[in-house]
Amino acid sequence: MSLRMPRQNRRELFVVFIVLLLIFETAAYIATTPRPTEQFFQLYVLGANHLAADYYPNGNSNIRLRDPVKWYLGAANAMGNVQLIAIRVKFGNQSINPPNTQQSLPSPAPVICEFTRFLGNNETWEIPVVWLITNASTVGGSTRILQVHVNNSTYTLQDLSARNGYNFRFIIELYSWDDQAGSFQFGWFTGTEHRTAWLQVWFNMTSTEPP
Amino acid sequence: MILSLSIISMILLTCLLSTSQLESQLQPGFNQALIQTRKAEASGATQIEVSQLLTLLNRALELNQQALQLMRPEDTGRRAQLLGQVNDLLANVQSQASQLEVTASQRAFLNKVTAYVSGCLVALIATVAYAYFRRFWREYQIKRTFQMRIVPK
Repeated sequence: MSLRMPRQNRRELFVVFIVLLLIFETAAYIATTPRPTEQFFQLYVLGANHLAADYYPNGNSNIRLRDPVKWYLGAANAMGNVQLIAIRVKFGNQSINPPNTQQSLPSPAPVICEFTRFLGNNETWEIPVVWLITNASTVGGSTRILQVHVNNSTYTLQDLSARNGYNFRFIIELYSWDDQAGSFQFGWFTGTEHRTAWLQVWFNMTSTEPP
Repeated sequence: MILSLSIISMILLTCLLSTSQLESQLQPGFNQALIQTRKAEASGATQIEVSQLLTLLNRALELNQQALQLMRPEDTGRRAQLLGQVNDLLANVQSQASQLEVTASQRAFLNKVTAYVSGCLVALIATVAYAYFRRFWREYQIKRTFQMRIVPK
């Protein structure tokens, strides 16, 4: 069966070819071009049972001396490329300022410890953290926390007290590496927009007597 | 009194981390290694290839942190050894990432050319198939017409 045909049919086939070419080349372009996605980080803290609950032993936020508390700190990278991140754990009370999200400023609370890691795109990183207060004193109605033990390290604190032991808090902040500046920045940039991620978990320590 | 105050302040300085100390703890090579890894990733390196670089980078980070915890004068040698290993790892990552960037970009280019050429070929084959289908359909219609019986009313 040969394909000899009149001029009109040839013209028609040429149009069909052009239309099919456009369709398939568009499909090839879509298949080979990565789609733009929203860029962000996730930061979370889970309780001892890997849930957004049970943050304190026996559900009691009044922590005693040397009571171990287990959490899971986690971060996920959805920035579209490899990122170097730092999760900074800070210790504060009610009067210390939290991070300022409007001006993208971190909290001035003292840093207890830092966890750093390179994360691939769409990778989630989870760190088990066990902390306990190893030294505290009560002075004139204020509870002063002097030492806190996080994982295998002990950290000494200075001038951190709360009236009657209420409203201490951990402030957890996410930093990402800025390769232009060669340093960590609080939060991250998507285009020109600066975003931040931080969490806080409150607790009390009304008694400094060992259990 | 002065001695006890100085001891306490030294303990506080070593235990309490400040922002400037944290940032200065990373070797300069980390920045270059990260930039090179991102370039390889942007050129089309697969997730498996990038994860191999990430393993090395995290190992370097771990060694760096171990080195910086060695603060005593007698640990100077061990600290220098660890930092040397860190620099070797970072140089390795940069070298691997550079090679990966070239390989990945060539592969991505080839994939693109293959995709566009395939699209063109498929369009051509579909057009030829359409032409044959049309001719077949016309011949079928002619045959069916001749098969019809003329019945006088």
